[in-house]
Formats: sequence, C-alpha cells, structure tokens
Amino acid sequence: MGNRASAAGTKGAGGARLRLPLYDLSRGEILLSLILWAVVGLFILYPLFFLILESFKIAGTDRFGIQNYLDFFRDSYYLKAFGNTLLLGVLVLATTTLIGLPAAYILARYRIRGKTVFTALTLLPIVLPAYAGAFAFIVFFGKWGTVNLLLMEWGIISEPLNFIYGLQGLVFIQSLHLLPFIVLSLLAGFTNIDPSLEEAAEVEGAGGIRRFFTITLPLATPSYFAGAVLVFLWPFTDWLTPIILGQVDYLPSIAYINIAYHFTDVYRKYMGIVSVVVAAVICVGMFLTLRRWIERKKYTALSKGTALEGRTIVPGPLARLISYLYMGFISVLVLIIPVVLGLSAFSRRWVFEPFPTYWTLENFEVIFFDTPQLLMNSLRFSGIALLFGVTFGLAVAYLLTRTRAPGKNALDFISTILLVFPGIAIGVSFLLAFWRTIPIATHWIIMPLALFVRRTPYFLRMAHASYLQLDPSLEEASEISGAGKLKTFFSISLPLLLKGIFVGVIMFFIMAFQEISTAVFLYRGGWETLPIGIYLNWHRGMEFGIAAAMAFFMVVLVFVLLLIAARVGGGILNVAWGAGGRRE
Amino acid sequence: MGFIEIRNLLKRFGKVVAVDHISLEIEKGEIITLLGPSGCGKTTTLRCIAGLERPDEGDVVIDGRPMFSQGFVPPSKRGIGMVFQNYAVWPHMRIFDNVAYGLKLARLPKREIRQRVQETLELVGLGGLEHRYPTQLSGGQQQRVALARALTRNPKVLLLDEPLSNLDAKLREKMRFEIQGLVKRMHITAVYVTHDQAEAMVISDRVAVMNQGQIVQVGPPEEIYHRPATKFVADFIGVTNFISGVVTEVDEDRAEAILEADFGRVRCGVLALDAVAPGRQATASVRPEDVEVVEGAGERENTFRGTVLHRVYLGNILYLFVKLGETSLRVQAHSAMPYREGDEIRVHLAPARTIIIRE
Repeated sequence: MGNRASAAGTKGAGGARLRLPLYDLSRGEILLSLILWAVVGLFILYPLFFLILESFKIAGTDRFGIQNYLDFFRDSYYLKAFGNTLLLGVLVLATTTLIGLPAAYILARYRIRGKTVFTALTLLPIVLPAYAGAFAFIVFFGKWGTVNLLLMEWGIISEPLNFIYGLQGLVFIQSLHLLPFIVLSLLAGFTNIDPSLEEAAEVEGAGGIRRFFTITLPLATPSYFAGAVLVFLWPFTDWLTPIILGQVDYLPSIAYINIAYHFTDVYRKYMGIVSVVVAAVICVGMFLTLRRWIERKKYTALSKGTALEGRTIVPGPLARLISYLYMGFISVLVLIIPVVLGLSAFSRRWVFEPFPTYWTLENFEVIFFDTPQLLMNSLRFSGIALLFGVTFGLAVAYLLTRTRAPGKNALDFISTILLVFPGIAIGVSFLLAFWRTIPIATHWIIMPLALFVRRTPYFLRMAHASYLQLDPSLEEASEISGAGKLKTFFSISLPLLLKGIFVGVIMFFIMAFQEISTAVFLYRGGWETLPIGIYLNWHRGMEFGIAAAMAFFMVVLVFVLLLIAARVGGGILNVAWGAGGRRE
Repeated sequence: MGFIEIRNLLKRFGKVVAVDHISLEIEKGEIITLLGPSGCGKTTTLRCIAGLERPDEGDVVIDGRPMFSQGFVPPSKRGIGMVFQNYAVWPHMRIFDNVAYGLKLARLPKREIRQRVQETLELVGLGGLEHRYPTQLSGGQQQRVALARALTRNPKVLLLDEPLSNLDAKLREKMRFEIQGLVKRMHITAVYVTHDQAEAMVISDRVAVMNQGQIVQVGPPEEIYHRPATKFVADFIGVTNFISGVVTEVDEDRAEAILEADFGRVRCGVLALDAVAPGRQATASVRPEDVEVVEGAGERENTFRGTVLHRVYLGNILYLFVKLGETSLRVQAHSAMPYREGDEIRVHLAPARTIIIRE
C-alpha cells in the first residue's frame, strides 16, 4: 500500500497533515496485521532466509561465499541433472498440451452425454497424490506388470517391453498427473470467451478450423499459460516419481537423496541444498514472470462476459464418436490408478500374474489395527494444519478485502508464491531453521506447522474469493446496529462465508493429508504419516500390497471428500476450479 | 449549533480527493439531502458521518460529541441508523432477527424486543412477515426491512444511502413519501444521499448540492431550483437554458442587469452582484417554463423573435426548441399550441427568473 503512504505524503490543497498509514485501521486490525506478519515471518520468511543463508555457507568454515553455486554449475553431474529436469519439463508440457487441447475443446464446446463424468475423471488426478499414480502404473505397465504379461501370454511379444522405467515413463506418469492443469486452464480459457466473438468470426466467413486457430486459441492463450507454467515447473518439485521409477538424475530427486541420505557428506549436503534453492528460484521466477505477462494479456476481461457457459455446439455423428473415444481413452488411463491400487490393496503376492489370485483384507488389517498410528498421525497433523490454515486464511482474506492495512499485498504475494514453492524446499528450510536456533523441530507440532505453510494457498484462495463476494455493507450494517468487529465477524461474515470456504477446507485437508515432500524431511520415529508409510513400505521393499492399500485408502478418502465438496460447492467443476487453483 | 456538524471534512483515496474540506450544519429533526452526480463525494461524506470511513482531516460532531478529533467513535457506538443502497439485509436471518439484531446487542429484555420489532414492522407495512427469510421477499419489501432495522433502536440520526435506487420507478415514488412521512413522524434527523434530483426535491427540507468533493449550494428545494448559485447547480437540477453575453448595465438596487446576448438585450436578475460588472462576460439561466410564448401583438421588454427548430410533444407538455440568433432555447409551451417546425414565434423571458449565475 505504498500508494496510500505516498498520497499522504504529498501536499494537498489545504496543506494536509501527515497521516500514518495505519490511520484507517482499528486497534484490532493493527494487532491482527502484526500477528499475521509474525506468522509469515517466523514460518515462511525466516526458514527461507535460513535456507538461502545455508546455501552460501562455505563448507567447513564460518564464512559465506558463492563457492557452492560455482561447484554446482561446474559439476557435470549436477549440470546434467539440471538439463534432465528442464527436458522433462518441456516434454511433459508438450505431451499434456497435445493430449489436453482436444479434451478441453470437447468438454468446453461439444454438447455430449456424460460430460460431467468425463470432466470429473479427467480432472481427478489433480487431487490424487502423484505417487499413487506412479505405483499403479508400475504394477500395470512395469516390466512384469499386467500389460507385459498379457502381451507375452498372447504371444505378441517374447521379452517384456520397458514402458515406464526411464524418461518415457516419467513423461507418461507426470503427464497424466498434470493433464488436469492444462485441461482446466484451457477449459477456463474456452468458456470465458464471449460467444459473440466467435459468432462474429463465423459471420465474417471463417470456417471451423480457421476460427479455432485465429480466434478461439489466441483468446484462450493467457489462460493456457497460467496452467502451462505449473506443468512445466512440476519436474522441478517432484522428487518422488523419478525415485520410484529408479531415476535419480533430476534436480529434486538429487536434492532429496543428498540431503536425506548424505547429510554427513558435507559436499553432497551443500549440493543438495543448492539444488533445492535453484529449483525454488526457477519455480518462483518463472511463475512470477509468466503471471505478469498473463496479467498484461488478459483479453477475456475485455468482453462483458454475459454468457457463463461460453459457446456450445451439438457435434455431428463423427465428431461425437471421436469425442467419446477420446474422452473414454483418457478416462480409462485415469481409472487405471484406483482400479490397480484397489486390486493390489485387496490381494497379496501379486507377482508374475496379470491379475491377482490371492484375495485378502490383510493389508487393511495392517493399516487399521497393526499400525493405526500412521492413520492417526495423518488425521491429527492434517487436522491441526487445517485449523492453522483456516484461521490464517480467513484473517489474511479479511485484511486483504476489508482493510487498507499497509503491506497486505505483500502478505498475499508471499502466500501465493507458496503455490509453486517446491515442497522439498519448505521441508529442508524447516529442517535447517528449526533445529538449533528455534528448536521446534524436536516437537511433533513441526509436522502440522509445515503442512500448514505448504498448503496455505489452497484455503486462502477460497477464503479470499468468498470474502470478495460478500458485500461489505452486510458487515457495515451490523456495525451500525451496534456490533463490534469481532461480533460482526462471527454473527454475519462467518455464516455467510461458510459455503464458500467449506470447499477450501476440504481441498486443504485433501492436500495436507497426501503431503509427503515436506513431511519426509521432518518426521521422526512415531510421527510417520500415511504417505510416509506408503513411501517407507515401498522403499523397504516389503509387500507392495500394504503401500497399495494405503494409497487406495487415500484415493477413496479423497473421492468421498470431493463428492461432499462438489455437493456443497455447486458441481465438480467449481470445486476443481478452486483446487486447480494453482492457476492465476 | 447544528445537531450534526460537519467541520472541514477532508477524505482522500490514494491521490483522489473524495471529499474536499466540506462544512455543513444539520438541524435537529431536519431531513437534508446530499445531492450530486456519482463520484461527487456524497456517499463518502455520509460514510464519514456513519464512521465507516475515517476522514484525513476535519471532524463530525453529533449532538455535541466529536466523532473523530477526540478519539475515533466506532459506528457501533454512534447511535445511528443506516439504510444501504443494496439494503444489506442479512440473508441468513429471518426478518425478525434482522430487525431485532441491534436490540439484542443492546441486551433489551426479550419481551420488549418482540414488541418493538412488531411495532416497527407494522410501521413500515411488513406486519406478519417476521418469520420469512429475506430471499422470500420482494425488493421493495427488503427495502422496508432495511428501513425497519435502521429505525428499531430509535436512532438520533438516520443515514440513507441512495435507498431507492434499486427499486422500480413506481415503487420509488411511493417510497419517497413513505420515508419522508416516517422520518418526520419520528422526529429523526436524517441525511439522505441521492443522485436523483426529483427524489431530493420531494424528500428534503434542505438540499446540499455537491460536485467534485465540495458543497456547491445548500438551501431549501425551491431556492436551489429557482436561484441556483452556479451553472453546475442550474444544469444538474431540472432543465435549463443558458444565455451568454456581455453585461452592459448593472442596477444594484433592484439586483438586475442587462445582458447583451447575440439575439438582443436581456434584462436579468442577479444573485451575486460581485460576479457582474459592466463589460464582463456572464451567463444567465432561464428554465423552459419561465419562457413564455407571446401570442398576439404588443411590445414588451425581454421579448424576442425566433424560429421553431423542433417540437417535442410529451402529452401534457409541448417543448419547442426556438432559435434566437445563435442561441437555441427550450421553451415549455401548452400542449395545445399549434406551432410547427419553421414557424416564427415570439418569446418572453421573465426578468425575475432569468438569472445571471456564477460559472
């Protein structure tokens, strides 16, 4: 709000007195602002500062310098990993765009049956943990997976094909996981186009394909890039999928391995930290650059946005058939995840067989009775994180929409950045910052705190949007009637915000529940969450069924929560929009 | 001493000065209207009185108590009622709870709350609808709920922010009289914000015309209409004609002047003698109904010959646009008059109503 401050500084007509920028705030609002800044300072800025500081430390000394960065960019191994990550980003973006473009067009423009189901299935991976997909595809497409076994059984091949162990598998699995971002952003782009713009082109004589490439696609471009940047940046944050697929030469995976397993090897530790910082800088930098570009290019704001649905067409029989086949294909790919996980979850000893033969509930016995601690931890940590997230989110949203608090935009900015901030960066920075100077890392509260910081944007965005839709005069009327600000919040604002923030609550919980990237750095014996349990079970090479059962349980939980959110929030698309929310 | 005193109020939003050193005294029991185009600062002024905005300078004194200079008095402690433009009726509460909200906060006994809510709802004509939700009411009824909510606590001051602008024309006209009647009966001091001059005329004891953050003129509706202080007021309130020319004579005793216009010498009234001097440019304003079509012969002062350019027939009224020299004058004639485009007619400008005004 430098704007205000500078205005107060300029001399007005009457030789204005200087006003403090806090003048417009009540005492409570000033206090609130201070508390929020303290939270942001302690749990976001301070750890971040520590991470950056650490990356400049010269090993074995107390001095600081750019030695680590020089080493990093001179070491051909790290350079190769950097290049691999970039390449993966490009390939994943290209794949998702190629697959997503027709899907988004079909969903946005064609009036076909089952659109809601197709939309829901296409968007489902957005809320499923990435590792769930990776496990499912190993079982299904792996060397001795269902597909290879079937193909050999049918005599089509004699040796198993390598579908997924390698770059191709990474591209495939990450693309499926990220497809929703592209589809959602293109869908938003297509539906936000004022139908009259396309109709005008039609009247001018532009045919279908020409119209698509000259009008529709350019108009949807800014929206597309909002999703594209998140897809491109994903390989800079996803450390687990490469590791599951036996690929480690990617920036986040190296960072994880170096820091988690070679903490005593000073060189590898610092290379790990530098990898984290480099990945984070790339994510934040690209995100901000693109966001500025998009803001300058928002065409959609030009039109009056009369029609909510955009233009819809009844497709011809051929187009309809192709649409069904295409959407069906995507849906099947997505459905492989829960189906395969389900099969593994209810079976044991599923090896060298296309489908399991030994059915059992033992895996679930392990989850619910042998080690209920994992589930309990997940529920407890996510629940407490949710409490933090809701309080923080509502307070920030209030400050943003209802006050002229100085620095409120910075607060919003920092919270938004967290959307693209790599989870491992948060995990490592917490580990470094809360070890000695402020030793919270020895208490389990560090887990919900980290989850809160990592997932904060998911609730904040919804709270912000809900607050924007709440007419301030409803609150003002309450104040006029004699209610203080706090009373007004609880008797007027909160009840009216409830529906909007409910979806945010669910999304936050889902995302906190499946979080692993940050938690994996911070957990100690007894604090393991379900996702960590999945990882450890797989890692220890124990029966895959337990990991699968855990993942399956999470998928079911996510699905149930989503259904509730969709019911309350008015449709699956609305919910996904909020969730997909990493856009804009 | 006014019941409400606005003292040298200044409010900026960023670099925009919304309210520019406004001062105004409002008497007890008076209905005053802040009238002006959008962006003139009228709503901001009202919100400062309510305490929903804090001025950068100046003060608002209500019943002898400063609202800003000796510590900020929050809206909840000002004992005011307010009706918002969009009603701001709480959708999650029944009508009863909407109206009772302030009374419950004041911790009145249950029975008294029930009784007062009942009375107020009867007063605004909503008796029997206590248990409905706002979404089950029409816009006009929601408006009445807002009014009832503002009135139940017997506020010293009632603030109304364009309360009728969301209603359809018929209902709007009806509500003007109702609000005026209610406020008068309850002896409340009311500040009414609107951009609708007809509404301001009907409802107020006095009108304060605002433009660009300043009050241009304050006075009873008749005065504002017939003796506009500036060109802006004359133009904003009702319809008027402007005649520009050079002042040739000034008669200070009779407060009159002669304006040499391109179509002849016009005798005009003068409101501000300091604004006119022989040889100076000046503008006079005359309303269409103060221009008379002269039928028959006979010479009179301020009578001029012109040509009918257009005629606009409105049923009860006939507007003739008459060209006098280079000036086009809108004349309100009887709808029975037979004039057509191209006819030559004579018009008379009433000297007392043809008034030289400030730019």
